[in-house]
Amino acid sequence: MKTLIIIPAYNEEGSIASVIADIRRHVPETDIVVINDGSTDRTEEIAKASGASVLTMPYNVGIGGGMQTGYIYAKMQGYDVAVQMDADGQHPAKELPKLIEQASRYDLVIGSRYVKSTSYRSPHMRRIGMIFFSQLVSLITRQRFTDTTSGFRAAGRKVINLYASYYPIDYPEVESLVYLKRHGCKITEVSTEMQRRQAGRSSITPARSVYYMVKVTLSVIMSAMRYNRTAVIK
Amino acid sequence: MFINILSVSVAIAFLVIVLELVRRQRLKEQYSLLWILFSIVLLIVSWNVSLMEWIADQLGVKYAPAVLFLFGLLFCFSLILHLTIVITKLTSQVLRLSQEVAILKAREALYGKNN
Repeated sequence: MKTLIIIPAYNEEGSIASVIADIRRHVPETDIVVINDGSTDRTEEIAKASGASVLTMPYNVGIGGGMQTGYIYAKMQGYDVAVQMDADGQHPAKELPKLIEQASRYDLVIGSRYVKSTSYRSPHMRRIGMIFFSQLVSLITRQRFTDTTSGFRAAGRKVINLYASYYPIDYPEVESLVYLKRHGCKITEVSTEMQRRQAGRSSITPARSVYYMVKVTLSVIMSAMRYNRTAVIK
Repeated sequence: MFINILSVSVAIAFLVIVLELVRRQRLKEQYSLLWILFSIVLLIVSWNVSLMEWIADQLGVKYAPAVLFLFGLLFCFSLILHLTIVITKLTSQVLRLSQEVAILKAREALYGKNN
């Protein structure tokens, strides 16, 4: 199976090299593409020097636009599986074989922190938000999801094509699940370890989290209400 | 009524400005139609005081010139909504373009190396 690892990166010069090295060590047969989303630091040079392909966005398009670029690329190059993972070192490459292996049976495989209890602990407020989204998405899609905000996922061809044609813009993880279920995709979660970020800062500040909650809730409801509702209801 | 004289001159000025912008290709014909329509409606309503009073009477508005503001505001709201729709469409088109540019640039860099 031709596999591509997509890493969106915005000013991640501190961690990108070790993330790529980690992938090379655990799954050397995969290709790696770094989406350099208008970084102002040396992310591009370091990623290239580490041996990854780099797609440089002409300006900062945000996580959704960057991520989708990776999926468009995966579709154009005819990859069977596309795995997205963070550039900050939160997603350990040793979990990759687990995700990729399941991708032959499912359209989308999500690496979840909460299927089994892992050592990962999120801050309180974030935990409340995550529980809320899990409940909301589980209710709409009639499937139990424990970690809807996880950005550690492996997509098969069907999902690659769907993501290439539509991908939510700013906080895409939660809404994209509803979108995929609406198109009848088979999704599963596998338990994965996750770490605290190694360098850089999270894009979600306390001030933005209110916007995040409201925006994502609206997107999820709107996504559920779009034309072919049968996929959601059945 | 001073407000009528004022709004008549504003309406005429508006019409002239819109047409001039179209002539200089600073405004697309497509978008200018809405503005021309607005100027003409404003012109008729401000010119014809009794028409305005009749409309005000029908709507139960005590102060007739307020009808002008009402229509002006409604027009502004719908125009702004229309503009946000246009911006949304432009944003997704620009995003798609930049994504394809990023991919094509990387591909070109690769070919450049091989040759």
